[in-house]
Amino acid sequence: MAGIAQKLASNQKQVAISEFFEKNKHFLGFDSLSRSLITAVKEAVDNALDACEEARILPEIKVEIKKLDSKKDIVQLKVEDNGPGIPQKSIEKVFGQLLFGSRFHAIRQSRGQQGIGITGVVMYSQLTTGKPTHVRSKIATESTAAVVDIGLDTRKNKAVKSNQGREGWFLQDGSMKHHGLEVTTQLKAKYQKGRQSVWQYLRMTSIVNPHAEITFTDPEGEVHHWPRVTERLPRKVDSIKPHPHGIELGQLQRMLSESKDSRLSVFLRMNFSGVSNRAAKELCAAAELEVSTKPKQMKPDDVRALLEAFQGERMFNGKPVKMLNPPTNCLSPIEEMLIKKGLSKTIDSRFVTTITRAPNVSQGNPYQVEVGLIFGGSMASDKPVEVLRFANRVPLMYQQGGCLLTKAIESVDWRQYGLEQPGAKGVPKGPAAILVHLASTNVQFTSEAKEALAENEEVIEEARKAMLEMGRGLRKHLEKKKKMAKTQEKFELINDILPAIAAKSAEILDKPIPDLAGSITQIMSAVISETNTTWNKETKQTDVEITLYNYTSRSRAYTILATWPEKEGAKMLGNETGGRKEAMGVWAWKLETLQPGQKYVIKYSLDGLEKGDWVDTDVFYRGSQEVIGAMKMDEKYLEEIRNQEQILKEMSKQNDELGESTEEEENRTQHTDTPEIDLDEIIASLGEPKVKPPNGQSTLFGGGQ
Amino acid sequence: MVQRFSAGETKDAMHQVVTEMYDKIIKGEPPTMTLPVRTKNNIGFDQKLGVYKYGKKKSVRDATSLGSAKQLLRALYVIEFIEEMIDAGKSSTLREMYYISESWGLGKFGSQNESNNLAEDLEIVTKCLREDFKLRPEEDGARMIGNLTLRERNRRGEWMRINARDDVGDSGYGVPYNVEAEKIELLENDIDFIMAIETGGMFDRLIENGFDEDFRCGLLHLKGQPARSTRRIIKRMSEEWDLPVVVFLDGDPWSFRIFASIAYGAIKTAHISEYLATPSATYLGITADDIVAYDLPSDDLSKKDIEALNAELSDPRFADSWWQDQINMMLELGKKAEQQSLAKYGLDFVTETYLPEKLAELGLA
Repeated sequence: MAGIAQKLASNQKQVAISEFFEKNKHFLGFDSLSRSLITAVKEAVDNALDACEEARILPEIKVEIKKLDSKKDIVQLKVEDNGPGIPQKSIEKVFGQLLFGSRFHAIRQSRGQQGIGITGVVMYSQLTTGKPTHVRSKIATESTAAVVDIGLDTRKNKAVKSNQGREGWFLQDGSMKHHGLEVTTQLKAKYQKGRQSVWQYLRMTSIVNPHAEITFTDPEGEVHHWPRVTERLPRKVDSIKPHPHGIELGQLQRMLSESKDSRLSVFLRMNFSGVSNRAAKELCAAAELEVSTKPKQMKPDDVRALLEAFQGERMFNGKPVKMLNPPTNCLSPIEEMLIKKGLSKTIDSRFVTTITRAPNVSQGNPYQVEVGLIFGGSMASDKPVEVLRFANRVPLMYQQGGCLLTKAIESVDWRQYGLEQPGAKGVPKGPAAILVHLASTNVQFTSEAKEALAENEEVIEEARKAMLEMGRGLRKHLEKKKKMAKTQEKFELINDILPAIAAKSAEILDKPIPDLAGSITQIMSAVISETNTTWNKETKQTDVEITLYNYTSRSRAYTILATWPEKEGAKMLGNETGGRKEAMGVWAWKLETLQPGQKYVIKYSLDGLEKGDWVDTDVFYRGSQEVIGAMKMDEKYLEEIRNQEQILKEMSKQNDELGESTEEEENRTQHTDTPEIDLDEIIASLGEPKVKPPNGQSTLFGGGQ
Repeated sequence: MVQRFSAGETKDAMHQVVTEMYDKIIKGEPPTMTLPVRTKNNIGFDQKLGVYKYGKKKSVRDATSLGSAKQLLRALYVIEFIEEMIDAGKSSTLREMYYISESWGLGKFGSQNESNNLAEDLEIVTKCLREDFKLRPEEDGARMIGNLTLRERNRRGEWMRINARDDVGDSGYGVPYNVEAEKIELLENDIDFIMAIETGGMFDRLIENGFDEDFRCGLLHLKGQPARSTRRIIKRMSEEWDLPVVVFLDGDPWSFRIFASIAYGAIKTAHISEYLATPSATYLGITADDIVAYDLPSDDLSKKDIEALNAELSDPRFADSWWQDQINMMLELGKKAEQQSLAKYGLDFVTETYLPEKLAELGLA
């Protein structure tokens, strides 16, 4: 890649960096004064989160914006983190060179797929204010912090350092900062409030990064704080090799021309995921190529034939060559419980439900859809629900209407789930917010502006399924709320009012207080269940108690089922009433007889959870007589749980099988990484169409090139 | 005539309500309270009494829902409270009872309306009057002017003789909330009829114009929907003095209802209609014809007005042809008019032209 680019570059005239910026600012996120500020914050914060994640540090990020000159719209942005810091000699590369870093080539889910990088901010700052960007960096192994002002030589695309030195980095309490990075830059920008603002960007970031602590001081001096709600860091993601289904001609050509392998079959096995020894041979046969062909010397026609074999257009024994799906451990979903926490801390509400679908593969690219819905509380009920879109944990704030994730929301008839939606069209209305997160190694956007995801039927369908499941959850919640209110009333009636009527009437008539048992059975004439899920401070466990009362005149038999966070790694303790596992996360107890007037208590504790992880247990029943306070078991719901469980099982089996070669491959990618790319190549790549066909990669600087 | 209960009888009647609840519990059933349905669908004309009374439809309030159970409990607290008042020789206003219920815990009222309704429920079930319960309304009684004389027992327990023309100021004689024999005695009069008037403005106009003297009548200001005591004193004067009663109201659907409550009995108090209603009362105006005949300034009927008129068409109290014609005519006109719209023709028009013409039709002028 770099080879071709350098050849091109030598033939091209040096383009002034300002011209490059001016021409392409809408791609780079600097097209308006308010968006420029969001983009700058985004680049700095994404870097901080990525750095902390790689170093396995719980992030603490402080963002501060000050107005320096209101007339000329000059603001100062300061972003400080507690990441590992950058060694002094690398600072100029990170801040002064476009696209420094290895993630550009690695195929895995990363935030950085979506931006030009922090260098863009340095550039924009210099072009609009003429000022350099001040960097302070402290790494753990050094006693002082490195400080330096970074500017750019706009002719040579090189960093210009000034005021370099070292200093102690003291915290407010007088102690020394252990490690971290602080970037201070001045830029022409406008601070705005509302749906498209720095505040909203940070709020959304905090939702999908519940492990981060974010503090924001706005230009008016107001401090916004989003606390950390979990100590769990996102899973460390692995890089994977490209999958034959997701590769393009140009990319295949480059890989072949750079290959040092001597045989095509070896090249296929070692450079792609999902290609076994057998598949490699079959691919060669399908493309009518010898296994011993030297990759470097393949002619264009041979390359095309190979690609056709990849795509199943050339067959082996009359069938497309079968390949394994790529492993999915390159994805890092946020996961249900953490989305729940993230949403709950940012939005005040009564009900949250989240669903993380099993990973899936579309055109050779692993992806995973996660959705969340938060309902009630202080949210406005007459406005469209708030849509929170994310791609690889990065908030998408513009072009909501044209985005695949929005379309998935609109494809659901929300009326049946308790939200308003005139004509079952468009974004529903109601006191709710809907979150959609797509995690993928190859996020496809509608345009270079990277704010809306391009249409992809498989992904829409997956997101839609998740929404439907969530909708059912909402409906269940609303029904349950109604039933609970009804149950509460009945209990108040028989526990408080009825005894008071008996006592008062006896008092007035001067007679003995009558027995209430008969009246109670007649009034209730139902089986009632009560469930309490509470956090036990002393044992650090979640205690669950389910009580079933038979207020009917006959004896009853039931199977009682309850949900519990098995997938999230909780352990069930002290469950003396036994029972058995019904499905992943669903436990069942069989109750042979419950006599009239009798009650039955199921008790257990959940270990391995944090406070707030599990606050509500869903209780279901199988049996003919309605149980007030529990839901009739929907067998379809169980089936869906079992399906997802099966998919997960198969996936992990596959990942295990592929595990060995993945490691091997990782070493190789590091060798072929080209950390530096120059401006000319980027300019060349910008000449390509802005919207590419769906299987094309339209991320400008990231993803699986 | 409604029968009045002694303290002991009142207590016994209330104990029956309590016994119904208690016995149900003993039988292993939810406690209940049985009372007539209180809607226009359950009132019918009582030939013997000449007024509208509740029919046979009963509703059973049982303790199977939280709301009804709370009602029963409140009824018990109210009964206990009334017993205490009877024993202590005290009385309280309905509003006071509402505040006293603050200390009743689970039996506490949610709103004043609830406590008023429950007092009425108890009247209906026990056939007692709220006067028997020692409960007073908050509402204002009417005021009267005219050459009639009565005796009222004042706060010190002394009887005072009052002539409602000579012994009162411009605002007239104020009718107290209790107009029963123990409080008021009708002595003598020198008038030919009684005229009940809806608005204060019109009442004052007639007094200023000397209408009561010129036409030998007693004027009574209803103050909108008349209070129980107002309807009761009209009834007493009509019966005891054998005087005709004419009612002069605005010309709109709400005035029709005011008239119905005076002449036929109100739906809410149908259990004591024979005690409050004056079947001989006549609707003088303003009628729907008057709006046309006198070309009165009028307003368009609102949506609520139209709904009210349509509801009246199916109200048994308005079932006769005269009322059906009036209601339908008003619906056709789409108009309503106030009493005071008569001022279009000058301040004296009402006393010199309109009322004499209307009264002449009835043979009263």
